[in-house]
Amino acid sequence: MAGLRLEQLTKRYGSKDVVASIDLDIEEGQFTVLVGPSGCGKTTSLRMIAGLVEPTSGRIIIGDRDVTDLEPKDRDIAMVFQNYALYPHLSVRDNISFGLRARKKDKAEIAERVAYAADLLNVEELLDRKPGELSGGQQQRVAIGRAIVREPSVFLFDEPLSNLDAKLRVEMRTELLRLQRALGTTVVYVTHDQEEAMALADELVVMNAGTIQQRGGPQEIYDHPANTFVATFIGSPAMNLVDGSVDDGTYSGGGLRLADVDAVAGPVTLGVRPEHIHPVGDLTDEEATEPFTALVDVIEPLGATAVLSLRIDDRTLRAVVDSRWLTGLAEETTSEFVFDRSRLRFFPR
Amino acid sequence: MMRTLRRILIIVAVIVVVFPYSWVVISSIKSQAALSDPSRLIFRPTLVNWEAVIDGGILGSAATSIVVGVVTVVIALLAGTLAAYSISKWRTGGDQTRFTVLLSEMMPPAVLVIPLFYLALNAGVRDTLAAVIPAHLTFVVPVVTWFMIGFFDAVPDELEEQARVDGYGRVQAFFKVVLPQVYPGLGAAAIFAFILSWNDLFYALILAGGNTRTLPVAIASFNTFRGVELGTMSAAILISVVPVVIASFFVQRRLIQGLSGGGVKG
Repeated sequence: MAGLRLEQLTKRYGSKDVVASIDLDIEEGQFTVLVGPSGCGKTTSLRMIAGLVEPTSGRIIIGDRDVTDLEPKDRDIAMVFQNYALYPHLSVRDNISFGLRARKKDKAEIAERVAYAADLLNVEELLDRKPGELSGGQQQRVAIGRAIVREPSVFLFDEPLSNLDAKLRVEMRTELLRLQRALGTTVVYVTHDQEEAMALADELVVMNAGTIQQRGGPQEIYDHPANTFVATFIGSPAMNLVDGSVDDGTYSGGGLRLADVDAVAGPVTLGVRPEHIHPVGDLTDEEATEPFTALVDVIEPLGATAVLSLRIDDRTLRAVVDSRWLTGLAEETTSEFVFDRSRLRFFPR
Repeated sequence: MMRTLRRILIIVAVIVVVFPYSWVVISSIKSQAALSDPSRLIFRPTLVNWEAVIDGGILGSAATSIVVGVVTVVIALLAGTLAAYSISKWRTGGDQTRFTVLLSEMMPPAVLVIPLFYLALNAGVRDTLAAVIPAHLTFVVPVVTWFMIGFFDAVPDELEEQARVDGYGRVQAFFKVVLPQVYPGLGAAAIFAFILSWNDLFYALILAGGNTRTLPVAIASFNTFRGVELGTMSAAILISVVPVVIASFFVQRRLIQGLSGGGVKG
């Protein structure tokens, strides 16, 4: 086990900085998730940590060793790829023990560690099969087993759940967390799925266009997004954004007028999460802003909650409300709503 | 309707392929007299042609062809496989290299044979296998390379990367993980390369047509100043063709994959 530090890490292809001078300090035993849209530089960063991509500049430090110029095999890392990268010509047992045999470990030790990993991941009965005979979920377990037996300082995961179906993905997510808690190994995990990122991360690193937009605990980032990119990327449905301006403590814009807001004067973007839009009466007067009228365009019932598309002028806001309110709401009718005052965010423009 | 048409086409194709073989088989067991009348289908089979061809040293020529073929295949696999890996995974020379590899196949052998002849002459290896093998490599290596590019393209990059993370350097990762994935292709490429070398007449005739005769050269020699010795030639042709037909049968699926595979990316 060891911590990981990236210093001014940059990868340039031609004139484009795919990863632009990022700094990151990951504590020992921490589960860090790099999240962002396609092309944001998260996978390139992970591959630089693995040693599979050479950085243009910057340093990578694992524990107290500068590994920037080391071969992947000398970095003491294990990696799980999106397509699992199991060796098709080897049995599950040989796949799991591959890294140990490459490092010329003692046979008895190899057998012991393979048995331990197989037990941990419930793949004992698969040990003599070939990867082609396994389901996606089983292949995933084997790939994780192969990483575990190595007992590396850092685990690197490159979108390992994205090839699984939705149900299995959630199950494996829980299992991954359980495993990481049990082993206590430092993990760097890459995904484009913000929900998966939120569920797994001790620390979330939101990336876009090769830079780190924000890092912090998942809840902290959800509640206090640093900018409109993070605000819309994290959370589903996305945070509603309405351009306007604040003058003398009053926000106006997009057909809304909200008095006594906590924002500096000037052009701003109002950000409000869908679950912070409530039907009038759902909040006390102290909690709520002044009501506004909106046309209920579409209602999507989800069981416990429902997603509403609300039209104000030509703008659509998405709201998530408790389904008990559905009896008083109908599509194509107007209704009154309020915002949770304490949850409004204002981003300077 | 379509089905009937397809059947007819298949029957025609089978006749086109099988007819020449049948003709050669029949000719090889006909006496000289019977051969003089090609339309004669009722005749007394004889093995004189086979005895003549075997006594005439055809097996020695076959052995020579085997030596040339095997050495050519070993060298071509070594060079072609590494080149194919480099072109597939490293984009060596840019994306167009994979196609330019085949350009050399479009060059008529006549263009190369004179330089090769002079080289062999100056090196003192004319009329030896050392002259024929390099000549065969000129057309076998590009084909093996093209063939193997497709197979390497099909190996996910992550396999090699995983091996590098797991504890191997690049070279070891290639041999331990990448190469085993292309073994079937390698086998098919070897057989295909051997057939190419085995069938060559042109280079073998000009560079080593004297004492070290390969099988096709030996077959061609049945065309003598007294006329074509059809019976013995047919027997010799069968000796030459049967290994090729058997080999092609076993590798046909991989053969198609290999021949089309290199063109998928680019």
